[in-house]
Amino acid sequence: MSRAKRIMKEIQAVKDDPAAHITLEFVSESDIHHLKGTFLGPPGTPYEGGKFVVDIEVPMEYPFKPPKMQFDTKVYHPNISSVTGAICLDILKNAWSPVITLKSALISLQALLQSPEPNDPQDAEVAQHYLRDRESFNKTAALWTRLYASEGANGQKGNVEESDLYGIDHDLIEEFESQGFEKDKIVEVLRRLGVKSLDPNDNNTANRIIEELLK
Amino acid sequence: MSSGGEEDHLYTFDEIDSDSIELYESQNTSEFTIHGLVTPKLTTVISQGSEFDINEDEDGVDTIYEGMLDTPITKSSKRVLCEGSVPNLNYECLTTKGIFERILQRVDHLQPIFAIPSADILILLQHYDWNEERLLEEWTEKMDDLLVELGLSTAASVKEDKDYSLHTRKVEFKDDFACVICCESKNTETFALECGHEYCINCYRHYIQDKLHEGNIITCMDCSLALKNVDIDKVMGHASSSKLMDSSIKSFVQKHNRNYKWCPFADCKSIIHLRDTSSLPEYTRLHYSPFVKCNSSHRFCFNCGFEVHAPADCKITSAWVKKARKESENLNWVLSHTKECPKCSVNIEKNGGCNHMVCSSCKYEFCWICEGPWAPHGKNFFQCTMYKNVEDSKSKSSEDVNKTLKKYTFYYRLFNEHEVSAKLDWNLGQTVGTKVHALQERIGISWIDGQFLSESLKVLNEGRTALKWSFAVAFYSDASHNLTKIFVDNQMLLANAVEFLSELLQIKNPEVIMKRKPEFYNKAGYVENRTTALMECGRELLCKGICKVME
Repeated sequence: MSRAKRIMKEIQAVKDDPAAHITLEFVSESDIHHLKGTFLGPPGTPYEGGKFVVDIEVPMEYPFKPPKMQFDTKVYHPNISSVTGAICLDILKNAWSPVITLKSALISLQALLQSPEPNDPQDAEVAQHYLRDRESFNKTAALWTRLYASEGANGQKGNVEESDLYGIDHDLIEEFESQGFEKDKIVEVLRRLGVKSLDPNDNNTANRIIEELLK
Repeated sequence: MSSGGEEDHLYTFDEIDSDSIELYESQNTSEFTIHGLVTPKLTTVISQGSEFDINEDEDGVDTIYEGMLDTPITKSSKRVLCEGSVPNLNYECLTTKGIFERILQRVDHLQPIFAIPSADILILLQHYDWNEERLLEEWTEKMDDLLVELGLSTAASVKEDKDYSLHTRKVEFKDDFACVICCESKNTETFALECGHEYCINCYRHYIQDKLHEGNIITCMDCSLALKNVDIDKVMGHASSSKLMDSSIKSFVQKHNRNYKWCPFADCKSIIHLRDTSSLPEYTRLHYSPFVKCNSSHRFCFNCGFEVHAPADCKITSAWVKKARKESENLNWVLSHTKECPKCSVNIEKNGGCNHMVCSSCKYEFCWICEGPWAPHGKNFFQCTMYKNVEDSKSKSSEDVNKTLKKYTFYYRLFNEHEVSAKLDWNLGQTVGTKVHALQERIGISWIDGQFLSESLKVLNEGRTALKWSFAVAFYSDASHNLTKIFVDNQMLLANAVEFLSELLQIKNPEVIMKRKPEFYNKAGYVENRTTALMECGRELLCKGICKVME
């Protein structure tokens, strides 16, 4: 049972280093396969001030096989699925090595928030947003952090506009609303097409949007 | 077909059994010469320079092979056709072990150029997918960097930090050793490389065991220093490195699947290597299939990797096989949960969230959503997430479908019957061996005199296979066309011939067998002729577009 021993030791190592602001706990006492880890959003990024919860499943072959990690907290990030929380990170796949610990993996996730890899995206819509309009992306990511990852966040989006949640330009929505389309439908189509804002001269995209709206 | 006279001969029922004996025996010798042509090539290939250069780029070369393929059928080429292969296809049959032995020879050859230990050259080659030229190119450019990159030596800057001379790579016994991987403290053997990252032998074994099948260079768990084959064997306690080399060569074969093909038969470890693939499109155009035979006499199509399927071509075959599987639940699952790799057509199941797919077979990188190559995805925007409007295909009237189904069931039953018969023939083959043995013992005939039995069995097998696939051709052919009618007649003739021969082979009494020896020659020669005729007729159906896959 080297695996149990190692997991216990790893949990102790996390406790011994409170300055890292990382936590690692079992979900239930009876199951050493299933843990939850948390870490803080890196300062100077839209994720600052957030506390991110990661679901960790430790396989039988650990530490020779990587743990399965997935965000419980909703995160707006190119390499993290905005729907499922699935993570696209090499060390959790083929680049895993037995010397990597749960703690160092969590630190790697923190580093991933710091420096996204939009060229190897997990969430295409988010990655597109990141590449096209960084400022708007940062705003949305910060909004998500505030909504889902901050202290006292209840995971409810409350009265936050759907358009803000996906970083879509208000004027753009209003423009289509004035043409008689329903707001929900507009947001849905714009998300699907990955359009956040529109250059007034870009008639091609405008036509495409209308085409989709009319369907 | 070039000359009309030949065609007439092939399609009409005017075979004279009396001269079949002579025909058959002359074919036996001609077959031998064909094999003789193939073997010397093996030696010449070995003596050539870089063995594993891939000439995939040359595939586009459009040479006219018309003359080569369209020569009138002679007796010797008929023998080849009957086996299902085509003239002028030069290939060799290898095994991973054989390939590795050649690599070792090349390493010995290269050693003076590199002036580093042979084991290190092997690692370099492994990294470059056994491609010597690429390695040599990079080697001349950045020798030292390459050694560091592949973990064969350590960068000078790192060396200053830590004294590497303190450690040597070795297995050592230590009292009360605390391993950071398993977190156990015990008296155990340990292993470490020059870097001094030391772990208990059990953890190291576990780590290596998991990596052996990947075929990549195995490094220290904590740094990029590479384990050489001797290290792997030392840790594992037996020759495990050969497994790693095997996996590495396997992945090399998979990656270069245009020039290398695995024999598709169960448990056969043969690899067919076709150096020059430029003629393949030409074979396809003329509806020949590039059939090859491995060292265990398994015959398969180099193009589609399926068993010999003449007279059907690859397109008909794949359509037929897919159709045959359609009913099964299995296929439904495959269709709903997997996609075919756009490059090598292996079915892939998605097992993670990431849409960046790497085919485990040919290492092709593609996007799960749009099935396009991955390369442009990173830099550009994601066109593939855009919604595509799928046009509803016009559904056929149910009556039409029903009719096709009936036709299909009819042909499939025939196809299946011959498949079952082929299996029974295989059992028959086992008894033929005993029969030959009995002949030798009881009547005292020589080994060579008993060979006609196994030869007949071989011919029977070939005829059966051709017959089986001809039903796929018949299914996709326009039934009203005259040539289709000729084809069906040919089918019938071959079917009869095959049954006659099959019956003869059932005889158990050795004396009767010897007495009826001329009959064996007769029937076998006749089956062979009919097989060739059916194949040629089928090819003509394909060439003229009478037989084609209906969408």
